[in-house]
Amino acid sequence: MARLSLRGIKKRFKTTDVLHGIDLEIGDREFVVFVGPSGCGKSTLLRLIAGLDPISDGDFFLNDQRMNDVPPSRRGIAMVFQSYALYPHMDVYENMAFGARLMGLTKDEVEKRIADAARMLRLDALLKRKPRELSGGQRQRVAIGRALVRKPDVFLLDEPLSNLDAALRSDVRLEIAKLHRDIGGTMIYVTHDQVEAMTLADKIVVMNAGRIEQVGSPRELYETPANTFVATFIGSPRMTLVDVARDGDRLGVANGGSVATGALPEAKNLKLGLRPDAVKLHRGQSGEGLSATVVYTEYLGDNAYVYARLADGTLLSARTTPNDLFAPDEAVTVTVEPGSAHYFSAEDGRRLTP
Amino acid sequence: MPQLRMTGRGLWITALIVPPLAFVALFIVYPIVSAFAYAFFDWQGLKRLDFVGLENFHTVLFVEPYRSWTINAFKNNVIVFFALMVLQNGLGFILAYALWRELPGARFHRIAVFLPVVLSTIIVAYLFKLFYHPLFGVVNITLKGIGLGWLAQPWLGQSGTALGSIIVAQAWHMVGFPTLVFLAGMQRIPSEILDAVRMETESEWVKITKIVWPLVAPSATIVFTLLFVGAFNWFELPYIMGGLDGSPFGSTDVLGLYFYRTAFGNVSAGQQDFGLGSALAVLIFIFIAIVAGVITTRLRAREIQL
Repeated sequence: MARLSLRGIKKRFKTTDVLHGIDLEIGDREFVVFVGPSGCGKSTLLRLIAGLDPISDGDFFLNDQRMNDVPPSRRGIAMVFQSYALYPHMDVYENMAFGARLMGLTKDEVEKRIADAARMLRLDALLKRKPRELSGGQRQRVAIGRALVRKPDVFLLDEPLSNLDAALRSDVRLEIAKLHRDIGGTMIYVTHDQVEAMTLADKIVVMNAGRIEQVGSPRELYETPANTFVATFIGSPRMTLVDVARDGDRLGVANGGSVATGALPEAKNLKLGLRPDAVKLHRGQSGEGLSATVVYTEYLGDNAYVYARLADGTLLSARTTPNDLFAPDEAVTVTVEPGSAHYFSAEDGRRLTP
Repeated sequence: MPQLRMTGRGLWITALIVPPLAFVALFIVYPIVSAFAYAFFDWQGLKRLDFVGLENFHTVLFVEPYRSWTINAFKNNVIVFFALMVLQNGLGFILAYALWRELPGARFHRIAVFLPVVLSTIIVAYLFKLFYHPLFGVVNITLKGIGLGWLAQPWLGQSGTALGSIIVAQAWHMVGFPTLVFLAGMQRIPSEILDAVRMETESEWVKITKIVWPLVAPSATIVFTLLFVGAFNWFELPYIMGGLDGSPFGSTDVLGLYFYRTAFGNVSAGQQDFGLGSALAVLIFIFIAIVAGVITTRLRAREIQL
């Protein structure tokens, strides 16, 4: 059982505020991903939950118990570090046994837990090896094993895949998802990679500049982003934002034509959000859409992305089929699939609904 | 035949290498080799007499009174080594840990701890001679001032306390060196490893003994080896504070003093013997070389690649 409750958490380093009041509830067995650009405070927040850095202001409760002043080793929390942080002078077995022994477990219990973890993580053959004799992926599994044997209420993972190469990364990602299903603990996972966030999370917490921008399931974040930050952060290629003015039931770009997108919100000036699959490109310039010039085309095998510049200079990305490629500098007209556009306030970037 | 062409670069390198090489050969290699050679001859003053084989070695090791002097000096060196191991290296490790943990005032103390190392040995020796002065020394005055007057001693004037007092002066002088080396070793430990330990225990003792100490093994190798060499070559401080005879009554005599006295004579005896002196020097050299070699290889085996 592990429910985490963060109430008004602030973090100050000397005079700089890093976190400006974080409120967040995390339920039992949830897989929560903190995602955001570098420096947004996601790793800092993780370290506050771990207890590695003191909380400047606010309260952190774990199962209704205030944890602010409890040392890290007594919080029932285990952490997997970005660099794995294995003890270089201990072999794999000792790395896992170290923390378990310090918990005061019996020798048999320690052995049993290590055997279980080693089986689950396929480390049986490596128990006598030193960390320097292991590959990156193996070190990663030992780091997870070290957390597992402590049977913590909460697992914290700080960018655990960032030191692995691309091929290994998706393998380990699957393993982590499977691990979460098998052991069922609460997991908090920090990453700057929105693909990791989308594929792993039950709940994503999007952070920016020390604040939470939105909390929700991957689907919620993708389909109903709360603001332009979340809208452009989630999804690849990123959503195009176009400044448009309302003209009856059409939206117009300055000197660049206008487009019908279905039902519109009230405001006069809007930011129009277009995902690559919400737009269609037509060869040549006609009056029935936004005029644009192709910049380049990315061919990906199963589909292709075309980047085109609108009249106001905005770079728009559109998904097309591999059979429908466009040459650079080709003039195109952009239309929007009805009902698939997002609308945001031109003033503060908040989501507007029709 | 391969031709050795003197290009500009080659000349430049030669010009840089030859002077130091010549210096090392003249002032280090030559004296060591000649000491080896001298040890096998009988000497009268500066005049070399007959080849006597191993007799000089036999004399300093097995013939009285040399035998007792050798044993006494060697015993004192052993005491110095172990005492400094605790006082200098042990304290150095603790100081390094305190500095590393960034306790309040760490910036100031990082400099303060290292400052005595920069002082000349002569200054340290005279300073501590003054500190230990039976009547005017700051040690005894302080003891009397805080009501511990019965502890006041003529520190350098009695056999029981003289060597210990000089050792304390030495430890004060050099403690900054192991501190610096250990501190550098600790700063090399990745911060995530320390975070990982903190997730598992809050005990400083466990952190120090199980993680920090094993991970500063390379630093330990350096300071142990250097301390060993230094302790068995010890000369300046006992020479200035205890005198060439290791006063009082040989209680501060060490191999360095004993060798010097034997080879070059002293004021009171005036007798000098290059043969016996060289034999002692050779024995000290061989002993230090072998043990330092063993220490280094044994400790190296324990070092961890971080």
